[in-house]
This record gives sequence, structure tokens and C-alpha cells, in this order.
Amino acid sequence: MDGHQFRDGAKAALPIVLGYLPVGMAFGILAQKAGLTPLEAGLMSFLVYAGASQFIAVEMISKGIIWFPIVLTTFFINLRHLLMSSTLSLFFNKNSLRTLGLLSAQLTDESFAVAMSDTSKILNRPKYLFGLQMTSQLAWISGSVGGAFFGSLIDHKEYGLPFALPALFICLLVLQIKGPNHFWMMVIAGISSLFFKWVFSGNWYILLATLLASGIGVAIKSKVQSSKLKGEKE
Amino acid sequence: MKQENLLLIFGMAIVTFIPRFVPMVFLSRWGIPERMKIGLGYIPAAILSAIVFPILFFDGEGTFAIQPQCLLSAALVFAFAWKVKSLWGSVVLGMLIYWGLGFVL
Repeated sequence: MDGHQFRDGAKAALPIVLGYLPVGMAFGILAQKAGLTPLEAGLMSFLVYAGASQFIAVEMISKGIIWFPIVLTTFFINLRHLLMSSTLSLFFNKNSLRTLGLLSAQLTDESFAVAMSDTSKILNRPKYLFGLQMTSQLAWISGSVGGAFFGSLIDHKEYGLPFALPALFICLLVLQIKGPNHFWMMVIAGISSLFFKWVFSGNWYILLATLLASGIGVAIKSKVQSSKLKGEKE
Repeated sequence: MKQENLLLIFGMAIVTFIPRFVPMVFLSRWGIPERMKIGLGYIPAAILSAIVFPILFFDGEGTFAIQPQCLLSAALVFAFAWKVKSLWGSVVLGMLIYWGLGFVL
């Protein structure tokens, strides 16, 4: 039973693997060009495991910037995981601290979104999420180390590889359209994210647009509920 | 392995772990107010949208751009995902379309 859960999770990760291998390779290539060894690139993918911030770190290293600015930037880029971690907490209220620690260490945009595409599979089933996340991270680490070793041999921008993760996100987005409310949340989040990205530098747009859209969603829903209550009283 | 790189990696790992870990532990133990639950229900949809739209309308350098190869591929993948709801299929089809359009556009 438990083995099945892990295996099911690992299977659900396959679309992510397809996206992570080439992007991980791209990271490995850039890391190697910035002066990191394959071991260091692999270690970063193992311990940090957060794509956007790893790319930016490597970019900063290659410009000669040292650790404090990079760590600070990493913190702000990855702050968006607060929201995903909060959402996941709804599904894991019966698990040990150690389980939650391991689960949260491997939380990424992609694995979160795949987990959310069918929440019945993750409700108090950490093994499923482990399978999903470990498989994804394995692909990310393999890609990074492979890229750092053999990077110059294969062009990671060929064969439509740059579109693997965008395509994954688009399908996950479609799976989240569960009704008119969710549709309007998406429109608000999508348009405002463009605006925020245009106005602010860095990765703030994800956090800001998500908070704005879900905040509006809560405001509308509680207004509807309170007017319903009023209607029932009268 | 250079010591300064090792320090950097550990620093990055710690600051990345904190926002991933803290809400999951505290909210799963304290419980969540009803209003926040409603908000959290919208987060997957909102977050995905906030990730996808900027990918489509900004280029690699972060400037606003209309990119026909990207937009056309996205529209076709959207239609496919709407009909078939397959993650695998969407990723493979998306790569093929994007690759193919690279020759045409």
C-alpha cells in the first residue's frame, strides 16, 4: 500500500522530469562557466533546490559578487514558497515534524502545482508527495551535474526544450480552472503579475500578484456570504 | 571544493528552507482560520497564473515582448490541455510545437 503511494507519486513526477532535466543542464552549464565544479553545482541543486535563485546566484558569482548579496537575493526570490507551504499545511495535519521537514525541503513551484492538480492523492499521504518530490529533485540534480560535466556537447536550447516547463505550467493552470471564481482569480493574477513584473525588478511579481488575487477572492466571497446571511435573517 | 562556495551554498540552503518549512509546521499544528482557508484555496490557481503570464509576455532579458513562437505554442498547448488534461501530453506536444515553429517563424 505504502509502496504504491510512493510509486504513484514518482509516476506523477514524470512530466516534471522532462522539464527539469534540460533546465538543470542549463544551470549546470552556467554554473561551470561561472567557475563552480560539477560537485558544487550538484551540491547546490541538492541543498538549495530552487531553480530561479540558483540561476541568479550563478549569474552573480560570474560577476564577482560574493555571498551576502546572493544569500539575501535568494531569500527574497524564494519567499513565495511561504504561500505554497501554507496551502500544503491543509493536507498534512497528522504528520511528524521530521516528515514535514523533509517534505518542505523539497517544495518547488512545479511539484506543488502537480500535487494540487489532484489533492485527494496527497491528503495525509506524505509518501505520495515524497515520491513526486524525490523523483523531481533527482532529475534536477542529474541535469545539473550532467550539464556541468558535458554541457558543451549538447545544446539545451534545441528541440523545443525551453518550452518544456512553460507547457507544464500551462496544463497545470488549465487543471486549476474549477469554476468561474478560479477563472477570475487567474485573470486578476495574470494581468497583475505582468504589471508587477513591469514595475518592480526581481521576482516580487509572483508573491504580489498571488496575494492580490487571492485577497480579492476572499473579500468577494466573504461579502457574498455575509449578504446571504443578512438575506436569511430578513 | 572552495570554502567560500560551500558557505554560499549553505547560506542559500538555509534561507530557502525557512519559508518552505515554517508555515507548513505551524499552520498544520495550530489550524487555520476559515477566511484564510478560502484564500489558500485560490493560491494554486493564482500562483500558476502569476508564473505563466510573465513567461509568455517577457523575454529572457526581462523586457516586455510579443513572442509569436511562444504565444502560438502556448495557445495550442492550452487548447490541448483543456480537451485532454494530460500533463505528459502537454509537455511533449508543447516541445514539438515550439521546436516546429522555430523553423517556420
